[in-house]
Amino acid sequence: MIRFDRVTKRYGHRAVVDSVSLEVRKGGLCVLLGESGSGKSTLMRMVNRMVEPDAGRVMLDGTDIANVPPESLRHGIGYVIQSVGLFPHWRVADNIATVPRLLGWDAARVASRVDALLQLVGLPPEDFRARYPHELSGGQAQRIGLARALAADPPVLLMDEPFSALDPGIRRGLQVALRRIHAETAKTILFVTHDVEEALLLADELAVMQDGRLLAHGRPAEVLRRDADPVVKRLFGEATLAFHRLGTLRAANAARPASATQPAEAQLPILPPDSNLKQALMLMLESGTDQVALPGGATLHLSDILAAA
Amino acid sequence: MRLPRRAVPLLAQAAAFLLALWAAPHLGALWGAPFPDVQRPVWDQRGWFALLGAHLMLSVGAVVIAAALGLGGGILATRGQGRLRPLLDALFALAQSVPPIAAIALALPLLGFGAAPTMLALVLYACLPVLRGTVAGLDGVAPAVLDAARGTGMGAARVLWQVELPLAAPVILSGLRVAVVLSIATAAVGAMAGAECLGTPIVVGLANNNGAYVLQGGLFTAWLALLADRALALLAR
Ligand SMILES: Nc1ncnc2c1ncn2[C@@H]1O[C@H](COP(=O)(O)OP(=O)(O)O)[C@@H](O)[C@H]1O
Ligand SMILES: [Mg+2]
Repeated sequence: MIRFDRVTKRYGHRAVVDSVSLEVRKGGLCVLLGESGSGKSTLMRMVNRMVEPDAGRVMLDGTDIANVPPESLRHGIGYVIQSVGLFPHWRVADNIATVPRLLGWDAARVASRVDALLQLVGLPPEDFRARYPHELSGGQAQRIGLARALAADPPVLLMDEPFSALDPGIRRGLQVALRRIHAETAKTILFVTHDVEEALLLADELAVMQDGRLLAHGRPAEVLRRDADPVVKRLFGEATLAFHRLGTLRAANAARPASATQPAEAQLPILPPDSNLKQALMLMLESGTDQVALPGGATLHLSDILAAA
Repeated sequence: MRLPRRAVPLLAQAAAFLLALWAAPHLGALWGAPFPDVQRPVWDQRGWFALLGAHLMLSVGAVVIAAALGLGGGILATRGQGRLRPLLDALFALAQSVPPIAAIALALPLLGFGAAPTMLALVLYACLPVLRGTVAGLDGVAPAVLDAARGTGMGAARVLWQVELPLAAPVILSGLRVAVVLSIATAAVGAMAGAECLGTPIVVGLANNNGAYVLQGGLFTAWLALLADRALALLAR
């Protein structure tokens, strides 16, 4: 869907994005992870032509975006930034309606779309439509920012550290909301963050950047392999790499199927559906057992976790 | 609409001003008191309302032109990473640094007597505050808001009209307010070039050693400038 083809961007003599090739598949959620200054924002902003590459090209759905006028290109790409950037002199409804109005939708269609989006991002329309941005909390403002980006139903969403300025609890709520929205809408999302936990929570695919270069790219479990690049290891924290890796592995894949000869003990703690091995380990630590049960009767032993990691 | 109630004091002040203008010819004792030597202390060479109208035409006309120049200059100065900014700021500062009286004197041979050289002098004098206000207002728009506006696919003109200018408006208006006060207060010098205005009694009074005329012209000019300042302050809120 989004394909970077050896793109480079220089400021002065320094290449802040250095010959990066990367593909984000349709409907995927790709997280660009890297330290501050590694070139993540610059790379992302090439997709909506807020930054023009000095070399290479960016393809969107097979079209070289250099041939698409920036304004019409941006109408089809939602853009969410850390500082939100709601228009302070417009009400929430008008903020959300920005792109639909640019596209000339009629008033009735705009109004019903605004309400649908408020619902989607988890804010009651009747309470929020008429508010001004200064009447919103940080988390609410970013939900509106997300609604504005989704307003004209663009197939692609660019999100530049959208939750980084929020308190941990609020951030977690938005991460969960984003996962739900991604599942419901099947948007192709490119998501920038410097937060390892956030990256692992959200990513279908992980792209790791350092000094303008792409260090690693793939499913989180692949990127966090034991023999990962030393810089990747350092980025994720050498000491916690294995722990993060557990977070990328599904518990169900490591568990032992329910068997008649060895019935699951009734008193085993039960892991919620779709848990990963990190959650399984946490549950064992929490309940002081070396076995947990999965819904459906399979069991997972501590040794299974060690083997998988 | 809350405006009318807040406008009440202003309307009262405007009414008091007009009443004073109407009453001025009947207040000989008042004008004469500080100047016992003056024999004819009451200004009667021309109606006060005619002078007021002419004064407003001059100063408001000049402010409209100065606002257009200052606004246009301020917008230009903030485009393209502000490349034109030092040049425009220097140009407008230079224009203001010419004393209006000198500007009038220099323009006389070209533009003749009357309103034209006065307008020129006022425009030169009043466009700097509008430029500065515009630049400060546009600078004050949060970068994130601009980034988001461009990111939604608004064109540059739309970003300017729908986002930047509305958000900068309060600061631009405060610059405009300075320009209006400067222009109204300074328009009085137009009388030197023969432009009829509230400065006319001042110039005539100076020529004829009539302090009472000077007092009346000065008082009404200053009063009008203050009134305009109040009116714009109300508008800015
Ligand atoms: N417009 C610009 N002019 C000059 N340098 C820039 C510009 N934009 C970004 N940079 C530099 O490029 C590097 C990468 O920036 P950025 O892509 O924002 O990194 P990240 O988003 O990973 O923190 C930084 O060192 C930054 O200072
Ligand atoms: Mg960044």
